[in-house]
Amino acid sequence: MSTHQPPKLARKIFEWFCGSANVEDLLGDLDETFYLHLKNRSLFQAKLIYWKHVISLMFSYAIRKRKRDASFGEFASSSISLDMVKSYFKVATRNLLQHKYFSLLNTIGLAIGMSVSLLMISMVSYVSTYDDFHEQKENIYTILSKRIDGIEERDFASAPAALGDKILAEYPGIKEMVRINSSLHTEAKLEKESLPLHGYYADANFFSVFSFEMIQGNPFDALQKPFSLVLTETAAQKIFASTDVIGTLIELEGLGSFSITGVMKDHPKNTHLEFEALASYSTLPTNTSTHNEQWLDYKDQYVYVLLPESSSVASLQQQLNKIAAETYAQTPVKVTFQTQSIKGLVKLDLYNSIGPQWEASGFWVFGIICLLILLPACFNYTNISIARALKRSKEIGLRKTIGGVKNQIFFQFIVETVVITSISLIGALLIFFVIRSEFQSMMVEASALDLSLTVHAVALFIVLSLVTGFIAGSLPALYFAGLNPIQALKSNPSNKAFAGMRVRRGLTIFQFALSFCFILTLIISSRHYRTLINFDFGFKKENVVNVELQQADPAIFKNEFSRLSVVKSISLSSGSLGLSASNLWIHQPETHDSLEVAQLFVDGNYIHNLDLELLAGKTFPDQTWQREQFIIVNEEFVKNNKLSTAREALGKTFIVDGKELVVLGVLKNFHFAPPQLPIKSFMFRSDPSQFTQAQLNVNVTDVYSSFSAMEKAWKSLSQRHPLKATFYEDDLNNAYIGYQSLIKIAGFLGLLAISISLLGLLGMVVYTSETRIKEVSIRKVLGAGTFGITMMLSREYLKLIMWAIVLSIPVFLFVFDTFFTQIPNYHVTLSVWDLLLSSLALLILGLVTITSQTYKTALTNPADTLKSE
Amino acid sequence: MKTYLGEFEELVLLTIATLGAEAYGVSIQQDIEARCNRSISIGALHSTITRLEEKGLLKSWLGGATQERGGRSKRYYEITPAGKKAVTESKSLRDELWSSSKIKLSTIK
Repeated sequence: MSTHQPPKLARKIFEWFCGSANVEDLLGDLDETFYLHLKNRSLFQAKLIYWKHVISLMFSYAIRKRKRDASFGEFASSSISLDMVKSYFKVATRNLLQHKYFSLLNTIGLAIGMSVSLLMISMVSYVSTYDDFHEQKENIYTILSKRIDGIEERDFASAPAALGDKILAEYPGIKEMVRINSSLHTEAKLEKESLPLHGYYADANFFSVFSFEMIQGNPFDALQKPFSLVLTETAAQKIFASTDVIGTLIELEGLGSFSITGVMKDHPKNTHLEFEALASYSTLPTNTSTHNEQWLDYKDQYVYVLLPESSSVASLQQQLNKIAAETYAQTPVKVTFQTQSIKGLVKLDLYNSIGPQWEASGFWVFGIICLLILLPACFNYTNISIARALKRSKEIGLRKTIGGVKNQIFFQFIVETVVITSISLIGALLIFFVIRSEFQSMMVEASALDLSLTVHAVALFIVLSLVTGFIAGSLPALYFAGLNPIQALKSNPSNKAFAGMRVRRGLTIFQFALSFCFILTLIISSRHYRTLINFDFGFKKENVVNVELQQADPAIFKNEFSRLSVVKSISLSSGSLGLSASNLWIHQPETHDSLEVAQLFVDGNYIHNLDLELLAGKTFPDQTWQREQFIIVNEEFVKNNKLSTAREALGKTFIVDGKELVVLGVLKNFHFAPPQLPIKSFMFRSDPSQFTQAQLNVNVTDVYSSFSAMEKAWKSLSQRHPLKATFYEDDLNNAYIGYQSLIKIAGFLGLLAISISLLGLLGMVVYTSETRIKEVSIRKVLGAGTFGITMMLSREYLKLIMWAIVLSIPVFLFVFDTFFTQIPNYHVTLSVWDLLLSSLALLILGLVTITSQTYKTALTNPADTLKSE
Repeated sequence: MKTYLGEFEELVLLTIATLGAEAYGVSIQQDIEARCNRSISIGALHSTITRLEEKGLLKSWLGGATQERGGRSKRYYEITPAGKKAVTESKSLRDELWSSSKIKLSTIK
């Protein structure tokens, strides 16, 4: 025999690849062939052929089959029968009952994790029902437009009304076309006061396209004649306190007298349309503006078409493309049109949308957050299950020996997890009912949201619990399915348990990293909120009560309220500083420069009343003026008009709204807009006709009596409207209500994430303490102290939390840099103290959880645990 | 259930039957290669053998230790009664087709 050997590496690879499968005969065959080849070929060639054979075998069915056979007992069968499923259920419930503590931990964790997802699901499920009630929903399309202005591209929900006429004329395949104009924002004038009314102008065939139910009047000709008005039931009740109002005349502010031709049932919440009243489209004056104006300035104009059954949208789209190409050939701004089914319209991110809008991007963010809460809960389950693998491995080993195959073991563990998640679903539903209303109140579009349970939502809930079960269960299931029966049946813990350790550590670190980020976010945003609340606007906001005039005559109001003893002084204005301001362009007649300036209309008392500081000049003269003469400006205004001192600005004339107004005073800069916006040029004007609210400087020793006094005074001005009075400070703080709810949400989610992680930690600690109880007892017998043992048991977990903190800091810094700094004028920066504080919070929470268990273990009497051996 | 045999499967079965007591991996491969004058991949051969075994047409056992191949034992294969039936059926089908076909063996010269 020659001294040449077959290539060792190839054989090693082959042996490694085949694992426990029996391939002795194949190796023998390979060797034999090798030596045969050696006789008439070179060594290199023989080796090459050996390699070739090894590779060929490795990809062959023969090896696959042998490997598969090797991992199961002799009676292996891969089918899953109903009886087996029943048996799995039985084993699962027995297991749950046997380990009540762990089952409880898992169930609570998963219930918390799933509750947020339930919110998300019910929301998505509700939004998907939008506009489902229209009988012809499949065939109703709206036309969206995309405006391309230079490099700026924007998608609008609106489209020129002129387009509606054009397609009706040029495209024969349209059943109905409805134009809607959403600019009907007016006030219904009643005997004494007026009520706001919001709605649409709509074409006469509105009711034959959309399925809204009419209570009174004929839906088909209600919107035929000009100056016809259809009210919703609520609006009719609000205005007339009756729905039997057909034929009544109603005076609408600035629009004229309308005849009421119908009353319709309130439209369902789940529609993309939102209105109180519909006026006939023919009321609108015929458009006489130029071609460009009609086609380029189409704010609040919407076009809907109803296509006949089974007609294609594609040809309509072609026609639209053609029209767009023709119409916008010469214009500077290009517009293209796009058909959009009304189904799904509500989920698009569009400018100038007609009604409520649920942006898909918001759903994505929410979805990711849900996942960030749900996944840790799944990890808990995974962690605890793998940790307890040792206890179950005997069962699995036996199952495999008597013929259970991989699929069955996998399925068994999935069934077990699904049992747990189904129980958790019940818990999650309970939490869902508790947090639902709170959640709804935090949403901006809450009025258009209904989160009551529907069949659809419940079906999705069940799907969620199945999917959650699969996610949480697949890792342990895979682990158990892959167990080697021989090793599993050995009494000593196998090495594989340590392989599980690494995964478990990773999952725990991830959970705590997440909790850490939530705590940090909470600390930073609440600090930001505090700075916002205590923000110095530069004017007085304490003890000032804002009263909305609501059509009451300002002079009479002032007269009535100044008599009250609690009121120290009164001023009038067109709005509130710090909340909003309207902008306009003014001109300097000498230099012909123009400047954008924010403005507010106030009376002579205002500046004194709000403690604004005059740098030069004086406030408005306190008496009725025949015409507007003066403005009072801020420092920024002076600077932007290239005037060096405040005094220099006095007496300068500016052209405002075509009037020549003289600068009467200059004020120190103050925040007239919300604090996140920089201070720009600002001026006070004095047109009494613009006043909508009053500021009362009050003595607030007794809030209740002062408000009841105001209430009484108000009664003499208006019977129908209640008094609308609020503290200025509250008004300003209310502007951050969105921020406040953000903090609330972040806090709530943080709480969930942390409690889930702590539950998981608790489970792990309980488990290790249990398994190490003998070791602890022996240590105690040998003289270890309680503290030492507690530390020994806790050390590993504390280390994990530390790792989590260390790893999450760079991630959080990145997130902070990319997202938080995007908030305009964001003043708060991330400091070392924030990091320390959050770390400390997390460590303390973790420490309490860990030591609560380890200390208990350390206290056990060694005699109790050791006597059973 | 009727078993259908592929061409290669039939070839392997018949070779094993021919080799008798000496049918093991290397001998089967060499015999087929010599007879058919074609090179066959060892992976394909063993896959086919495995499938035939699954169908119950072949059975196998491990022989004793050997000298020449590093002490590794050989796996011997034997055709089962079901295997014999399958080849016989395959043969009778062909015979039937041959006899009824227009090609006369005598015409091929």
